[in-house]
Amino acid sequence: MIEVTLKVNGEEVTRSVDDRTLLVTFLRDELGLTGTHVGCDTTQCGACVTIVDGHTLKSCTALVASLDGAEVTTIEGLAPGEDTLHPVQAAFRTHHGLQCGFCTPGMIMTAVDMIRRHGSDLDETTVRHELEGNLCRCTGYHNIVKAILAAAREPAAAGTF
Amino acid sequence: MTEKLFRHIGKPVERKEDARLVTGKGRFSDDFRLAGQAHAAIVRSPHPHARIRGIETAEALSSPGVLLVLTGRDCLDDGLEPIPHNPVPSTKYDMKLTAPGGGVPFIGPHHLLPDDKVRHVGEAVAIVVAETQAQALDGAERVLVDYEILPHVIHSEDAIAAGAPAVWDEVPENAFVDTRFGDWKGTERAFEQATHVVSAKFHVNRVTAVPLEPRSALASFDVETGRYVLYAGSGGAVRQKRELSSVLGIDPSRLRVLSYDVGGNFGARNRVYVEFGLVLWASQKLGRPVKYTATRSEAFLTDYQGRDLVTTVELALDEDGRFLALRADNISNVGARCVSLSPLSKGSGLITGSYDIPVAALRARAVFTNTMCTQAYRSSGRPEVTYAIERLIEIAARRLGFDPLELRLRNLVPPEAMPYRNAVGSIYDSGEYEKNMDRALVIADWAGFEARRQAAAERGKLLGRGFANYVESSIGTPKERAEITVKPDGTIEVVIGTQPSGQGHETSFAQVVAEMLDAPVENVTIVLGDTDVVSVGGGSHSGRSMRHAGTVMAMASADLVAEARRRAAELFDAPEEDVSFEGGRLVLPGTNHAVDLFELARLTERDHGPLFAARTNEMHTPVFPNGAAACEVEIDPKTGLVEITRYASVDDVGRCINPLIVHGQTHGGIAQGVGQAMWEECHVEPSSGQPVSGSFMDYGMPRSDNMPSFICEIAEVISPTNPLGIKAGGEGGTTPALAVVTNAVIDALRDTGVEDLPMPLTPLTVWKAIRHGAGHTDEDTRTTS
Ligand code: FES
Ligand code: FES
Repeated sequence: MIEVTLKVNGEEVTRSVDDRTLLVTFLRDELGLTGTHVGCDTTQCGACVTIVDGHTLKSCTALVASLDGAEVTTIEGLAPGEDTLHPVQAAFRTHHGLQCGFCTPGMIMTAVDMIRRHGSDLDETTVRHELEGNLCRCTGYHNIVKAILAAAREPAAAGTF
Repeated sequence: MTEKLFRHIGKPVERKEDARLVTGKGRFSDDFRLAGQAHAAIVRSPHPHARIRGIETAEALSSPGVLLVLTGRDCLDDGLEPIPHNPVPSTKYDMKLTAPGGGVPFIGPHHLLPDDKVRHVGEAVAIVVAETQAQALDGAERVLVDYEILPHVIHSEDAIAAGAPAVWDEVPENAFVDTRFGDWKGTERAFEQATHVVSAKFHVNRVTAVPLEPRSALASFDVETGRYVLYAGSGGAVRQKRELSSVLGIDPSRLRVLSYDVGGNFGARNRVYVEFGLVLWASQKLGRPVKYTATRSEAFLTDYQGRDLVTTVELALDEDGRFLALRADNISNVGARCVSLSPLSKGSGLITGSYDIPVAALRARAVFTNTMCTQAYRSSGRPEVTYAIERLIEIAARRLGFDPLELRLRNLVPPEAMPYRNAVGSIYDSGEYEKNMDRALVIADWAGFEARRQAAAERGKLLGRGFANYVESSIGTPKERAEITVKPDGTIEVVIGTQPSGQGHETSFAQVVAEMLDAPVENVTIVLGDTDVVSVGGGSHSGRSMRHAGTVMAMASADLVAEARRRAAELFDAPEEDVSFEGGRLVLPGTNHAVDLFELARLTERDHGPLFAARTNEMHTPVFPNGAAACEVEIDPKTGLVEITRYASVDDVGRCINPLIVHGQTHGGIAQGVGQAMWEECHVEPSSGQPVSGSFMDYGMPRSDNMPSFICEIAEVISPTNPLGIKAGGEGGTTPALAVVTNAVIDALRDTGVEDLPMPLTPLTVWKAIRHGAGHTDEDTRTTS
């Protein structure tokens, strides 16, 4: 067992965990943050993407013990308030960028990071290229790409998470 | 029902379910946890075919944290019944499949765990339950199974060859269904008189649905009440409840199944999985909740898979290219036991596709092999037969020197022939096939192809274009029930038995009820997925949901309005026929008496109970969604890499309730069809019987960077078969896609003389075709890859 302290969605948490605990297991089982999903066992699907110290991280592929002191944002911590959506969340809704919603948290976290880096210059080719590590079985990606491009045009979307 | 009346139907209403799903508040099966829950791991067969001589569990039981180990022997000792899959489609419009020589087919009993043999790699042979997931996995490694390895068979044609190993002793030849449809004599005569006969043989490869959420189940058993609860996402909780209670040998009232957010289905989740029964059984034995969640590797091995049809088709034509007759021989590989015959049956009814072919004959067989079971997968059976006819037409056009589009146009079923009875007896309800075709060609800019081809050629690339028409059938479980309650708090609650997995029922169904009761969509809540609330329900498959649920909700709404008028009449002290329902209010014209539905519910609750209506409806008549699709592909001749540069489709879904949702369904459907044509394959290595596509590293998926954006249009030819005029959306994207993509790739390679290539059209397959030209065969790819 090992003790770790992380800041998750702005709140500091300290837990004693089994050495082999993955970040995603920690979030889901220890903290009950079940919005971060597990869709594979080979780091391919991106359903588990979170933002750790400002960068996207596939939380299924990181030991929580290696992240002591890190700051983690999950899908639950993205929206600025109870009744307000983050612009990327809102764009996914407006453009029907989700169907079953299982890939959606990972997609949104990846999109937030993408928009932070590219801002309103983001174009379809870049989105399609950078989204390659996030699988969706329902949408054919069409509306996901559309939602991300629309969100990138929103001034409020860049830099917020 | 006139157009101008619609306020909510046909509008692109944003989805109600999204608020929770974009904020991480969805309720997927693995999100549930119960106090004291234990974890299950499954011991799976490493062999495609072997006799189980014995299972040693002592070491596993002494492994740290292990609480319970159960095997096939325990299953028999406890008297558990096999899963009652009921695989033969049975409405009066389904094609009737029988055993060879007639009679009911033997389907191979599906026990939770086998006691005699394993019949495919990945088959569950024992369950290990422990305090933690890791301990369960460690324990599973200590279960020792003594196997006697038996010869195996993987491909359906090998399975029906003389001397093939028998998967079931009861069916030594492996073919457990053999049925002939159509007019064999008439077809033979037509072939004798034909100027041209063109034939081809295709294998529509085995793929898997890959819902992104791996299947998961959490069971608990209440010792005091003797009741079981199962949290498990599926295609319909009511079916799960019925079949699982039969497995456990308990009265269905003792099992409650909860299925909330479901991370994709596409057919794979419509049937019961053994693990669902296993956790229920284990939770009763332990008196503790037990959870199982599949890994992606387990999902690739043991999710119910799709397609796998070998089809030999022959077309007879006269000298003008008019189709005279069609003959087909279809062999469906159902895997180790028969879970569903839907693909074979659905396809059988549509072998003539969108074309007016006077006479046809079909032999339909289903065979057992040592592979995972197949089940209906998105558009069950229809992409297979659409592929066969649309590829055959393309080959015929090329061999006989016809323009492929011209050949199609000459033979399409015309709108004035509707309702049209095809040569195997399916009755197409409505549709304007030629119009679909024209429109698809326009939005795909078919006419601009030549210029784009030259531009591509200048860049050293090969551009090709493909086209296909399609018609499909939507039948599905005939029964559906809706219960509508108007609540004094201003909400309307609708209970319904379909089960969405991303299709947005909470929104589109609310649109229908809001329309009928003239209420805001926000006020209508759809309740689904809890068998304590939902008693009847056919689930979601075969594109049935919107049509069945829409119809029964419309009927229940009408009943509710009638009841409201009765109550208002009493309230106003006026004759019932004088009360009218306008703008969501009951009014007595000429007076100032008026009350809205919610107020009425409040005022009359004490005397008459909740303002409520319920209706159960059966609807057997199938509908036939149809459409056309076109695409372009660009091939790099140096590498064989195929890029899809354009994809357009027109889909007649009948009345469209929510175009935002229907377009989304089409996009996803296209991606799944394109995926099969281009990358996807559950490849099993024939000599070892080992599946080699066990992860996302080796199963090619549609990804954001290999898919184009789509150009899609909805055509609404209202179906005369149901009050709302709905056909179905959601499967039409998939149905023609396999043929469209293949036609485009073959077109791009036209200079090589290659006439056909097997799916998936991987760079290796394409590169070989470019290198070896028409000399390339399927064999080539298999032996040298
Ligand atoms: S669960 Fe992390 S990439 Fe699939
Ligand atoms: S919305 Fe279902 S996997 Fe993306």
